[in-house]
Amino acid sequence: MRLGLTNMANIDVAVRAMAKRLQIDLVRTPASTRRTLSLGVKYSPETACLPFKLQIGNMIEALEQGADTLVMPGGPGPCRFGYYHRVHEMLLRELGYKFRMITQDNGIMNIVDSVTEHAPKARVAAAFHFGITKLKTIEEIDRCVHRVLAAAHDKGAVIRLHRGAIEAVDEADSYRTLRRTKQEYIQELEDLPKVDSPPLKIGITGEFFLVIDPFANMDVETELGKLGVEVRRSTAVSDWLRLNPFIYIFGLLEKYKSYRAAVPYLSRHVGGDGWQSVGAKVLHAEDWDGIVHLEPFGCMPEIVARNILPAVKEGPPVLNLVYDEHTGKAGLISRLEAFVDMLKRQKKERQSPLSRASYGLSYERNNHNG
Amino acid sequence: MTFQRRFPTLLRIGIPRALLYYHYYPMWKTFFETLGGEVVVSPPTTHTMLLEGSSRVVSDTCLPVKVFIGHVISLVGKCDYVFVPSVRSMRVRVHNCPKFLGLPDMTKVAVPESPPVMDIDIDVNRGREKLLEAVYAAGKILTNDRARMEQAAEIAWEANLHYRRFMSTRRLAPPQAIERLSGSDPAPDQKWQVGGNQARATIAIIGHPYLTHDEIISHRIIQRLERAGCRVVTPEMVLAEELESAVARTVGTSYWTFEDEVTGAGEYFLNNGVDGVISVVAFACGPDSLMMEVVQQRARSSPVPYMNLALDEHTGEAGMITRLEAFLDMVMRKKRRPSCASA
Repeated sequence: MRLGLTNMANIDVAVRAMAKRLQIDLVRTPASTRRTLSLGVKYSPETACLPFKLQIGNMIEALEQGADTLVMPGGPGPCRFGYYHRVHEMLLRELGYKFRMITQDNGIMNIVDSVTEHAPKARVAAAFHFGITKLKTIEEIDRCVHRVLAAAHDKGAVIRLHRGAIEAVDEADSYRTLRRTKQEYIQELEDLPKVDSPPLKIGITGEFFLVIDPFANMDVETELGKLGVEVRRSTAVSDWLRLNPFIYIFGLLEKYKSYRAAVPYLSRHVGGDGWQSVGAKVLHAEDWDGIVHLEPFGCMPEIVARNILPAVKEGPPVLNLVYDEHTGKAGLISRLEAFVDMLKRQKKERQSPLSRASYGLSYERNNHNG
Repeated sequence: MTFQRRFPTLLRIGIPRALLYYHYYPMWKTFFETLGGEVVVSPPTTHTMLLEGSSRVVSDTCLPVKVFIGHVISLVGKCDYVFVPSVRSMRVRVHNCPKFLGLPDMTKVAVPESPPVMDIDIDVNRGREKLLEAVYAAGKILTNDRARMEQAAEIAWEANLHYRRFMSTRRLAPPQAIERLSGSDPAPDQKWQVGGNQARATIAIIGHPYLTHDEIISHRIIQRLERAGCRVVTPEMVLAEELESAVARTVGTSYWTFEDEVTGAGEYFLNNGVDGVISVVAFACGPDSLMMEVVQQRARSSPVPYMNLALDEHTGEAGMITRLEAFLDMVMRKKRRPSCASA
């Protein structure tokens, strides 16, 4: 069995670690490129959402690299994601590819069973734990990079260190090496010279895949960092994997807090991350200066959220970014620049006593929305 | 609440003639009327409703939701409450599209001037207790008697089953069936005649009834085909069991609540002797983007002529007419020369 996966952020690092310990032959799916997207767009239904198209592209490229087994989770739910595997399989078979599709409508654990071909549970658990630790390490490094990139003088150095850190984590083969790698890289990042002024804090919310995956969102976090913004993100891949009780409780509490916060405006789950997207605006009214809300074109839960967000009068200004295969990075950067400029100006005016005196209440934060 | 106690029969509950109206109107009407309420339905869709609805939501919201909002706007001042349930799931592990889930919340934001929105959750995955709570929440404006509410809900459910059987056994479209069953005053131009044996061809239109049977959204596709001498059949005219087994043959289990009328209907009609299949989808409909792809794959390997129409508020009638004419030409040509190989 040669296993092929689709790409999502750095999850391949964790999976490679697990596969190595379980002696599973994992094909290295090429990193997503424009070719991946073109392939996906060519063979997908026109109005399928962007993650679907990228995944078709990834699967084709994995099959080209010799994979004979594909994995794609699914399961009932309002959002399209759980339906993907049916259409993925149908389209790829129609194109003539021969493969076995492992998919379970009952969640990740059953997939793990199929993939590991019923290896002893203890070994699977141990491999899993190592993989998750790598994932957590990467997420810690990511959070550090968010902080440092905003304030650093040399943005390029931060980006290079980030890339190096991920490669080092990928190569690490023991817990000790992992710990050391993490400490070294975080130290190097923190040691970089910084500017003095406190950066803007912008939260990223929206559809899960787009928030997590830098190729899909066109490196929106890095671009914001280059503009001097500290990115805050409350979603992480480990949210998905409800194994480590510590992550589970921490991640889930944050989610529940945002659900409760959203209730006056959206009182129910609408699938995907729609509820969270609305709740984040209320929850972070005080500690975020702005929100960048990401969604693939046509994403149903996020359209529901986007319709409701303007009614949320408290909370920071929101920039809505809708992505599809035609999205151009130049346009994206223009919008981010304009948004950040506006937020910087607002912040300066809020802090200046002169402006408060002359403009009075109209510049209070609450009235900036709507 | 005092309104209900002093003037129980005068309480008007507004139901927008859009989205789930086509599936569940008889059920809701029966429920509220059994408890002594008066049900008010918005008039058939007009261009004004479409425009006003579109102006209240973000542009990538799907067309039927825009029309729905337009209907809610038209109910302002005409009723005391607007009934907009969040129909999450009518079968275990089968969910509805997120737009339905968030519909009451979107309505409240888009139409702040609307009468109070009756916003209940219908979700069979949460157990019988929760379902009863929804029933009580819906009925409490009319009565405090829970036994009466439960009874009304059962009568209403029977009415729903009867409505679906009625449509599938008599081959009626929802607006026609509703008209016949409720005897209420229908809009004058919503009368269809499902053609008899003189029809030139039988064309199936698959897709959601809130698209096919809404004259503005569909540009009167059914009437046009009938005027061209065709007999039109839609998923409501097929027995529910047939559609379910068609779904089972294609994708196994249903994923979305309305899988029957898309995947199921597509599979059924492609294999049951109709002369052509037309599918209608709203542009950027999430579920249909995937479900209709499954149908299209079946259609690619079927000899039955098939055409997909994607509708949005920019769809022009002239373009629609051209495509229907071309499609009918193809269907008739095929009928005249059955020995030709499939396209």
